[in-house]
Amino acid sequence: MSKVIEILNKTNGLYGYRVIENSVSSYELFFVHKNLETVRSTDSKATYVTVYTEHDGRIGDSAFQVYQSMSDDDIKEKTEQAIARANLVSNEPYELTDKGTLDAALPTNLDKYAPEELGRLIADAVYAADTEPGGSINALEIFIYKDIKHVVNNRGVDKTETKYRVMIEAIPTFTDGKQSVELYEDYRFTIFEPEKLTAEIADKMKEVSERSKAQKPGKELNINVLLRPHEIRSLAAELAHDQNYSSIYMHANLHKQGDNLQEGDCDKLNVTMKAIVAGSERSAYFDDDGAQLYDTEVIKDGIVCGSFGSNRFGQYLKVQRPSGDLKCISVGAGTLTDEDIKAEPYLECVSMSGLQLDLYNDYIGGEIRLAYYFDGEKTTPITGITMSAKLSDVLSTLRLSKETDVSGAYEGPVKALLKNVSVL
Amino acid sequence: MPFSTYLDGCRQDCRALVSELGKSFDYVSILGTDVRSAVYRADRKTSMACEGEGECGFVVKMHKGRSFYEYSCDDIRGDKKALAEKIINAVKISGELTDRQIKAEKVEDEPMKKDFVRETDFDDFTDEYLLGVCKKISEELCAKDEKVLNGFGMIMPYRVSKLFITKNRELSQHYGWANGYAMALYNDGKMVQARHVEGSDRLSEIIEKTKASLDGVIDLAKHLVTAQPIKPGVYDIITDPSITGLIAHEAFGHGVEMDQFVKDRALAKNCVGQYVASPITNMHDGAAATLSVASYFFDDDGVLAHDTQIIKDGILVAGLSDLASATQLGTEPTGNGRRDNYRRKAYSRMTNTFFCPGKDKLEDMIASVKHGYMIFETNNGMEDPKNWQIQCTAEYGIEIVDGKLTDNYVSPVVMSGYVPDLLKSISMISDSFKIEGSGFCGKGYKEWVRVSDGGPHLKARCKLG
Repeated sequence: MSKVIEILNKTNGLYGYRVIENSVSSYELFFVHKNLETVRSTDSKATYVTVYTEHDGRIGDSAFQVYQSMSDDDIKEKTEQAIARANLVSNEPYELTDKGTLDAALPTNLDKYAPEELGRLIADAVYAADTEPGGSINALEIFIYKDIKHVVNNRGVDKTETKYRVMIEAIPTFTDGKQSVELYEDYRFTIFEPEKLTAEIADKMKEVSERSKAQKPGKELNINVLLRPHEIRSLAAELAHDQNYSSIYMHANLHKQGDNLQEGDCDKLNVTMKAIVAGSERSAYFDDDGAQLYDTEVIKDGIVCGSFGSNRFGQYLKVQRPSGDLKCISVGAGTLTDEDIKAEPYLECVSMSGLQLDLYNDYIGGEIRLAYYFDGEKTTPITGITMSAKLSDVLSTLRLSKETDVSGAYEGPVKALLKNVSVL
Repeated sequence: MPFSTYLDGCRQDCRALVSELGKSFDYVSILGTDVRSAVYRADRKTSMACEGEGECGFVVKMHKGRSFYEYSCDDIRGDKKALAEKIINAVKISGELTDRQIKAEKVEDEPMKKDFVRETDFDDFTDEYLLGVCKKISEELCAKDEKVLNGFGMIMPYRVSKLFITKNRELSQHYGWANGYAMALYNDGKMVQARHVEGSDRLSEIIEKTKASLDGVIDLAKHLVTAQPIKPGVYDIITDPSITGLIAHEAFGHGVEMDQFVKDRALAKNCVGQYVASPITNMHDGAAATLSVASYFFDDDGVLAHDTQIIKDGILVAGLSDLASATQLGTEPTGNGRRDNYRRKAYSRMTNTFFCPGKDKLEDMIASVKHGYMIFETNNGMEDPKNWQIQCTAEYGIEIVDGKLTDNYVSPVVMSGYVPDLLKSISMISDSFKIEGSGFCGKGYKEWVRVSDGGPHLKARCKLG
C-alpha cells in the first residue's frame, strides 16, 4: 500500500484519494460424504484505489484495482486514467471522511488454532452430529478466513481491522429406502464453540428426517405462519434498506420518515442497524470510507424514524453525523409466547427457498421446503407448498416472540407470526 | 486490447512451477487470470466511470491419487523452489484426516498448445462517449414522462484473459462481453421499476439496442403500476425466453451439475436414460453451444468448451462436469469447471443453458390458453436438485383470457412446484429463440459466475403465487 500512497501523494490534480487494502488468507476443506475431496489455501491481497477530482464546483471520482503484478509505471498509468475518468463524472460535492486512526481486531478464538487443526476440529464437530439412523452429511465445506482490512485516505484516515471468521456449508441428508431428502445450511461464526456447532447440526439432522416424512397438504390453507430468524432478518433488512441514504437520495425509497408501517393491533417493529453483533462475521469497526460506525434506529414502534448509510450519501441528505455503512441488524423483542402460538393452528417454516419480498408490490411469499403444521392438536411435517400474502397486512398483525437470540448478523426474536397467510 | 501482457510474460514462470511441483505430484496445473471490467453509469443525480470488479492472480491445482489440492495467490514470479515449498506447506492437512482422503483416478493431461482470441469492438469507444450514452439514456427516460422519478443508464464491458499450463498443455484465451441496462423508477400512485437489459460482445450493438428500448421501458412501467398480486393457483403459462431460461437453469440445470452426483445431492443421477420432461423437450448447455456471456474457449480446468445435450426428446442423456467430479465418476469432463475467481474452487457449473426451439407459433400458443398467464423477466430463482422443488420469481405476468392477452398485469409472480411435473407439462414450444446474456448464478448462496439462459416460448402448467 505504501507504494500506491507514495504515487498518489505525488500526483497532481487530485482533490483526494482513498485506498482500501483487503488481505485475505484462507484454509479450506471440502468433504464428500465423510471423505476429504479437496484441500485449498489462499493468500491474496486486493487493493482498491479511488481518486477524487474537483471541477466546476462538482466532485468526480473513479476507482481502480492495483494488482501485485503492477509496476510503479502501471500504477501511475492507472492513476492518470482514473483522474481522466473522474473528470468526466459530475456529482454533488461532499467531504471525504476526516481523520481517525485505529488498529483493532474483532473478538475471536479462531486465532488460537493452526488452520489445519481448526479445520479438523470443525469437521469433527460437524460429523459428531451425524448419528441419526438414516441420516448423513452428504457434503461439507469449511472456509477458515483471516481478513485484514486497511483503509487510508488523504484526510488522515488510517484504520486497520483484523477479523477471523469461519463459514461452513453442510448438507444434512436423510435416506429412507429409495427416497432421499436434504436441507441446505450455512453457518458463519467468529468464535468456535464445538458443542454449539454439533448441537446446531444435530437439530438440522432431525429436521431433515422430518422432511423425509413430510407430505403435501391435501388442501389450500389460510393460516398463521411462523418465521424463524433467517427469514425475520430478511424481512427486517428489506424494510431497513428502504431507508438507506442512497435509496432516499435516488428517490427509490417507498416509505418516508414518519410513515406508520403497522396500523393494526400487533407487536410493533423496532429495527436498529448496528455495527457489531456479537459473534457475527459482518461486524465491523469502520466501513469502506474508514468512517466510524454509529448504530442507528430505523423503525421505532412500527414507524419509520431514521435512515443509515455511507458518508457521501449522508452528506447529500444533510445528515449531521452519517451512520456509516452498517451491516448488522437488531430487531426488538415482542410479546409472543409459546402458549400464544399454540392458541391457533399454525405453520412453522423450517426451510424456505428464500423469502420473497417486494415492497413496491406489497408482497411477501416464497416456496417452503419444510414446515411443521400444527392443526390445533398435533404437529406434522409438510412440504411442497408456497405461501403468499400482502406485506402490509402481515405487518399490521405481526407478532414477535419474547424470546430472542443471535443468528449471524441478526439479533432479535426467534419467531415472528404472520396472520392469515395463503398457503397453496 | 490484446491478451494480458502480464500473463503472457508469466508463461515460463508457470512452466517452471509446474515442473517444481511435479516432483511431488502426478498432476499439476496452473490457471492464470487477468480479468478487467469497467462500469459507466448515470442517473438523474449521479454518474460513475470506473473499473468494475476484476481479478489478476493464479490458482495451482495438484493431484496424486488422493485428495485434490489447490493454492491461490497473486503472483508466482520469483524463486520456484521456495514457492513450491510454501504451497505444499499451505495445503498440508491434519494427520488425523490422512486416512479420510478420497481415492481418485489419475488425471489425464492430453497434450495441446493453442491460443484462442475472440475480438471485441470495445476499444472503438472512449470513456467519455460511453458515459455520455448513459447520461443520454438517463435524461431521455426522465424526459419521457413526468412520473419518472429517476432514469438509469449503465454499460458494463469486461475482458477476460486466462492462461492454463500443465506439463503437456498450454492454452490461452482472450474474449470480452458487455451488458447494457436502461431502468426507470416510476411513480403513479404506486412505485415500480421497469428495465431493459442487453448483452453482446459488441458494444455498438448494446448501445443501439439499449437506446432503442426506452419507449418500451416507459410503457412497461405504466403497465406495472396497474399490476395486482396474482391469485395463488395452478395455471397454464406461456413463458418468455427469459423465464424459459430460468426454468432450464433452476429447474433442471443445477440438478445435472455432476459434482452433485458425486455427493449424492442430485436426483438426476438416478434418472439418466429416463423421461424427465415432455417428449418435445430438448435442452443444451455449453460454452460452445451458443455465443453469449459464458462462451469461453476452455474452462478453468483447461478442458475445451463443449456443447452438451442434457435432455433429448424428453430423456435425460447427460450431465455437466468439472475435472474433479469427472475424475471421481470416471467420466469425461464436459468443460463446465468454473470458478467465481482465482481465489475460489472450481465446481461443475452451467454456462449457456437453454431449451431448443420447437415448431409452434407464439400466437397459437397464446390462443390455446383458456385462462392463464404469460410470464416475463427473471427476478431470481433457487434450486433444490436433491428434491426437485423449484422457486422461480418473474417480474410480472399478463393474464390470458380466452386465448388473448389482456391488459391485466400481475406482479411479482412466484412459480414453484415439482420439477418433473413442470417439465412434463410442457405441451407447446415456439419456433423462436433468444438467449439472455446478463445473468449471474450462485451455487447455493455463493460462487457467483456469469451465465446465460433462454430458449423459445414454452407452454406449461405450473403453480403461481
